[in-house]
Amino acid sequence: MLSSRAKALLMFQNGLGRLMAVVLAPFYFALIRLMGYRIRDIKAVRAACRREFEKHEGPWLICANHLTMADSPLLSYAMLSLWTHLRVFRWIPWNLPERNNFRNPFLVLLCYLSKCIPVQRGGPRTEMKQTLAKCAYLLSRRQRLLVFPEGGRSRTGRVNTENFSYGVGRFLDNDQEGMRVMCLYLRGDGQAAYSTIPAFGERFTVLVDVFTPEKSALTGLRAQRDYAGHIIGRLAEMEDNYFGFCRQ
Amino acid sequence: MDEQKIFEAMVNILKPYTKDTALLERATRDTHILNDLKVNSARLVDVIIKCEDVFNITVDDDEADTIRTIGNAIDLIHAKLN
Repeated sequence: MLSSRAKALLMFQNGLGRLMAVVLAPFYFALIRLMGYRIRDIKAVRAACRREFEKHEGPWLICANHLTMADSPLLSYAMLSLWTHLRVFRWIPWNLPERNNFRNPFLVLLCYLSKCIPVQRGGPRTEMKQTLAKCAYLLSRRQRLLVFPEGGRSRTGRVNTENFSYGVGRFLDNDQEGMRVMCLYLRGDGQAAYSTIPAFGERFTVLVDVFTPEKSALTGLRAQRDYAGHIIGRLAEMEDNYFGFCRQ
Repeated sequence: MDEQKIFEAMVNILKPYTKDTALLERATRDTHILNDLKVNSARLVDVIIKCEDVFNITVDDDEADTIRTIGNAIDLIHAKLN
């Protein structure tokens, strides 16, 4: 259960982020353009996401494969136009980046203003519980949460169907009313394995798949494993489609 | 079941998830499952589910979150069995 103070701080972060989006969203967009990144059929990807978001206000759990540290901004860029970033701030998903990747004070501030809740993998139990409580609160307010269900960048360069984290299952096991899952598969044409950032001038493909999670017949940790396995399975299928169809 | 037997069962459960099984030979109650045995944090859930199967117990989220060392697991299992 999240304290009133924590809720207020989260909403303060949201409000401040909303104000700063006027500066930050164009900054991110300009940076992505400067790096020469392009998303294939971006209009179709954005239209698909907009259609889903208009159909269902929330909560949304957005699950994506993870290959580079630029995945979160790239996915946000792929899903929503600059105008949508400014107009419908609530559609921008919250992120759960690894705290250790944000030691620089400037990056910490950027992270704070960009709807991020830093987490420490394998960190103290109380902190992890607090983070989960924040996520549950945001989802109860029909917000969007972007997570990488594998629990880290894919070391093999492919969706890891054997050795993935079950953490994402916790969000689905919490009985969030009306929760929908959007799976996003993002991959640059030249991205063979994981890296810090994609290569300059990279061209990406984004695949979108949406489903309503069915209640697991299992309970507790097994249910979480079941939910996580289902999402990873979907991402792996999308990856097969990508290699089987898109690359041709 | 006494604590020594639970300890031995725990070592067997941990074997498939420990990168260097030699570390298990030196394991004690104070051995940290993640830090000392280098078990992947995501696999800790598998370890706990395996404990549920082996000892025929149920471990909820909050209880699972308290498990850091082999001793934590033994105490939890012992309390549930008795």
